Amino acid sequence: MNYTLSTIGSYPRPEWFRDYLRKQEGLQKDSRGVVDESYIKAVEEVLGEQRKAGIDLLTDGQLLWQNMLCHLCDNLEGFMLSGLIRYFDNNMYYQMPEAVGKVERKNSVIVDEYRAACSLEKNIKPVLSCYSLVDLSRDRFYGDEKEFLMDVAEAMNQEAKALTGAGASIIQVDEPSLLYADKEGVEVAGEALEVLTKGVDASFILATYFRDAKAIYPEVLDYPVNVLGLDFVEGFQENLRLIEEHPTGKIIQAGVVDGRTTRMEQPSGVREVIDSITELVSGEELFLSPNTGLEYLPYVKASEKMGVLSASVD
Amino acid sequence: MSDRILPTTVVGSYPKPEWLNYLIRECSEGSLPDGVMESAYFDSIKAVVKDHELAGVDILWDGEMRREEMTSYFAEHIDGFTIYGDVRVWGNNYYRKPSIVDELSYRDELTVSDYRNLRGLTEHDIKVPITGPYTIVDWSFNEYYRTKEDAVYALAEVINQELKALVKAGASFIQIDDPAISTHVDEIETARNSVEIATRGVKAYTGLHICYGDYSKLYPQILDFSVDQLDFELANKSFQDIAIFREHDFTKDIGFGCVDVHTGRIESVDEIKENIRKAFEIVEPKKVYVDPDCGLKLLSSQTAFQKLSNMCAAARELRGEL
Repeated sequence: MNYTLSTIGSYPRPEWFRDYLRKQEGLQKDSRGVVDESYIKAVEEVLGEQRKAGIDLLTDGQLLWQNMLCHLCDNLEGFMLSGLIRYFDNNMYYQMPEAVGKVERKNSVIVDEYRAACSLEKNIKPVLSCYSLVDLSRDRFYGDEKEFLMDVAEAMNQEAKALTGAGASIIQVDEPSLLYADKEGVEVAGEALEVLTKGVDASFILATYFRDAKAIYPEVLDYPVNVLGLDFVEGFQENLRLIEEHPTGKIIQAGVVDGRTTRMEQPSGVREVIDSITELVSGEELFLSPNTGLEYLPYVKASEKMGVLSASVD
Repeated sequence: MSDRILPTTVVGSYPKPEWLNYLIRECSEGSLPDGVMESAYFDSIKAVVKDHELAGVDILWDGEMRREEMTSYFAEHIDGFTIYGDVRVWGNNYYRKPSIVDELSYRDELTVSDYRNLRGLTEHDIKVPITGPYTIVDWSFNEYYRTKEDAVYALAEVINQELKALVKAGASFIQIDDPAISTHVDEIETARNSVEIATRGVKAYTGLHICYGDYSKLYPQILDFSVDQLDFELANKSFQDIAIFREHDFTKDIGFGCVDVHTGRIESVDEIKENIRKAFEIVEPKKVYVDPDCGLKLLSSQTAFQKLSNMCAAARELRGEL
């Protein structure tokens, strides 16, 4: 079995960069950080931490993202941000996006950051989101959630094409909300992914986390993605059962270390988890990662957590 | 606890004077001589006390000049915690998120010297707010205990020692701040047990402050908590929760959040009087404590003072009318 080590997306900002952004933007995030020399230096540090830990497929750490939603909305027409809302069961909050007009992509969303990061490292997967963005937003314009979703999917499709134009060969779509969806949601999310991925010359990873994937099985197996990310920390038993009962040609990206605690797992214990997943997947490839982004951790603990991951397959 | 009807009080925090914030920044860069911060804290607390007295607050606290937030401030003084660094809460706001790395045990006092200090500055009654064990654990990493529950109960024992030490020092009113309870209603039993452990044998009047969240999911179970008073944020939600509380006999005193701390708009005395009257739909006037929704620290000093003044005037006028 070939193991590809990866991270999910977010990474804690280096302390100096945090202070820098706070000076630029203040505490209330109305404006967004820009791709400048400081940003590139910060990305370089975060990439360095990942390389040092032995990560094969890296992320730029989403260092300019206020949270998993607002950064994507900020550069789309049709959104404004409102009050703070808790992000799932985390002690972390986001400004709830509200659709107040037709959602359209007039400017690039994350391509500039992606390009900057690519100047430092080739193996980077950019991260987008679609269903979760709509699910966690409030609709004040459409009156029809599906129409709202399809417009976001269309905008993300344009962004995905721009990303491949900038060199991306693998794109991750983060959809934690899917794990809380009903059957109708799962179906419409599949349609949105068809729109998002259409005509994009890249592989897609669907990343899910915070709980087991019961809600999206077996429909998820028909989604137009190549890699399926599952959280084996929060949903270990159930996800094992799901991949056993529903064999698939898709590659699994298994979240096997807990990105939300400073407790460091024993690599041998993680190895056992990996072995039990390995036994159940077909094919010769398995992606391994923390279950979530690492920004839930203090900076020094994020690298240690990646170290546990790589030690477990040494 | 109070011998006055409709006693006025604060939830805890108050805006720091601009000069104190300036000094805190200077101090973090290491450019202040020894002793400057200590005297700055002391002087700022005096200023807060004067503000509260001028506004007409009956039961005071020190405005939490020394606290930047409500988790690591306590965790740093409890054995078993360590802090590796900051974690984001939202946007560019971070807090020093503690990790539990060893058995939790009482090391030294958390609030006793603050209480003693304030006792020397005012003749008024005092309320001591302290973050509840459930919330501290919920806002920390747990590396040591097998379950979150185990960690919460261990910390509750530590807080219990502190509360007893407070009573020994003379404190008669202690408020447990537990905002995390409303974010995990499925763990309310753990929270309830933690408050029971924390208040066991504590011979003082006790309150529980919960802000945010959907109170309908906590009520009426929250009446089983072993405290004398429940303190809620009500103005911010336009008093919609009154209907929830009316569904069951409200068997505790109520800390009635009647002034919104999330807006700079200063409610008039008449408006606040109307707000306070809504409490009488739930309990008799003698069971009502009048306070703002939450700590005032995010407002400007002037706004915070005006809100408190109007709130106290409203309570005074109502007392005359009852």
